Amino acid sequence: MKRAPLLLFAGTAAGFISVLGFHLRQAPPTVAGASPSGGASAASPSKAGLTPAGPVAGRSALGPEEQYGYGVLDVEVTESGTRITDVSVPLLQTAEPTSQQISEQAIAMLRAEVLSAQSARVDAISGATYTSAAYLSSLQAAIDKLHAR
Amino acid sequence: MPTAAGAPKRQKGRAAPQGRRSPAPRPALAGAALVVAGIGLGATTALTITAESVGQLTATGGLATFVGNLTGMVGTYLALLMVLLVSRIPLVEQVVGQDGLLRWHRRLAPWPISLLLAHALLLVAGYAQAARSGPWHEVNTLLFSYPDVLIATIGLGLICLAGVVSIRAIRQRVRREVWWAVHLGMYLALAISFAHVIVLGPSFVGHPLTQLVWSVAWAATAGVVLAYRVGLPVLRSFRYRLRVAEVRPEGPGVVSVICRGQHLDRLAVSGGQFFFWRFLTRGMWWQAHPYSLSALPQPPFVRLTVKGVGDHSAALARLRPGTRVAIEGPYGIFTRHSQRRSRVLLIAAGIGVTAVRALLEDLPRSARPVVLLRATQRADLVLGTEIADLVKRRGGQLHELTGNRMAAVIDQYSLRRTVPDLKERDLYVCGPEAFVTGVVEVARSLGLPDEAIHHEAFAL
Repeated sequence: MKRAPLLLFAGTAAGFISVLGFHLRQAPPTVAGASPSGGASAASPSKAGLTPAGPVAGRSALGPEEQYGYGVLDVEVTESGTRITDVSVPLLQTAEPTSQQISEQAIAMLRAEVLSAQSARVDAISGATYTSAAYLSSLQAAIDKLHAR
Repeated sequence: MPTAAGAPKRQKGRAAPQGRRSPAPRPALAGAALVVAGIGLGATTALTITAESVGQLTATGGLATFVGNLTGMVGTYLALLMVLLVSRIPLVEQVVGQDGLLRWHRRLAPWPISLLLAHALLLVAGYAQAARSGPWHEVNTLLFSYPDVLIATIGLGLICLAGVVSIRAIRQRVRREVWWAVHLGMYLALAISFAHVIVLGPSFVGHPLTQLVWSVAWAATAGVVLAYRVGLPVLRSFRYRLRVAEVRPEGPGVVSVICRGQHLDRLAVSGGQFFFWRFLTRGMWWQAHPYSLSALPQPPFVRLTVKGVGDHSAALARLRPGTRVAIEGPYGIFTRHSQRRSRVLLIAAGIGVTAVRALLEDLPRSARPVVLLRATQRADLVLGTEIADLVKRRGGQLHELTGNRMAAVIDQYSLRRTVPDLKERDLYVCGPEAFVTGVVEVARSLGLPDEAIHHEAFAL
């Protein structure tokens, strides 16, 4: 077995490259593209514009609970007129403290992004891909719910 | 190839048909197994890397966490490979031998142990940095609020223990049984650390495909171990139904155990191979020890010859006829399959003569064997007449070398004088480890290439 190191190395390279190749072909889904009802939310401002509204107190809706790998969360959105005025997370449960910490940091950043973009179509926070996906998905559902009323 | 014609007049006139020979090794298959092992290693590494993002890496504690994940994954994979190495998959064992598998196992051992230790330490460091807390506080958090981490840590402790008792200096001081029990604990350690990988590992959380592949790999490893370390031996033991027929003294402290069984004409074994023998009697049933066959099977009989140096081997002299015997094997590549040249030199020291005796019987007549037996005193040259007979039939020469280690020494000078055509022969050497190492060195220095040197060492 003189060729043993060579065979082992060739196998290692093959395994490494094929997994990497598989991963790259399955490009990581960008959250905006992944939210299936993104189109509906684009139409929502005009629809909301039909409802005559003064400076009313905010209306809010709660999105569904989203399970993600490291925990579960749901998102509540508050709109005043056509503007998203607040986004909050009433429920956040994670398996362990580090996930809790990562999720909390990400949620704060997502909230800021959403408030400035005025939609759920924002980029995921890198390092918190699952939290972002769950957050934005629950948020989108909440916005849809609000506009369906 | 020799057949019944070459059989010696052993066991007084019991001329019986010879059994089957073990199949020829297929090196290509072992090579393929090696490639598969490499693919797994590469895939494991890549899986860890693809689960990572730049953001995570640059976050506080991100680097330590990433390297911790990587060492954990690679360490676990290497631990699985170590288990597979000692599962003695026959197709691989026939190529590299039980000896070779154990050598790889030992060579690999420091890696998974240190990588898994690094995994634990780095993750504590990384998580502590991320949480801006102290390491001791973080250890506490990890152990008691993360799922399955506590039990995985116990597993790590067991793995380290197995590493510690295998360190040469310590291993020589612990009983074989302790060493064995600790190694058995490795299976438990790997089993209980499985959960935390799937539940917490960034490569697995939210990735059902990788979860599936990893789980299948673990289940398959467990299956291979069970099949080849438990299933096959049990099956063979039931099939051949060996019982002790006779215990015969051969020399000072040396006995031959002759077992009688069924279907032994179907037992595929080559001369020079060994079995793990388990004598099902009180006080012995729970341990299996490796002993070579000291002759090819002559159905319905097989014979092993043992020198009483330890508790187990000494107890063999007191075996009662009728005792049931369970076997695991055959193992080893100290066989005619390893022969590369037409002629051979066989060297045995002490009880190493048993493997050489059986191998001799299996060699073709054209091998014209030169046999060199070494012992401290003449009385220790057991099986001498059988060997002399076999050598004579093959037109070979027998040299007996007796005396203490200083007087009866095998060095470059004496070996060249005894075997002038050494460089055109295959060398087979069997005996205590120090002796085998010494002879192999001498042979190498005389210009014999590694592929012509075959050895089987036994530990006392």
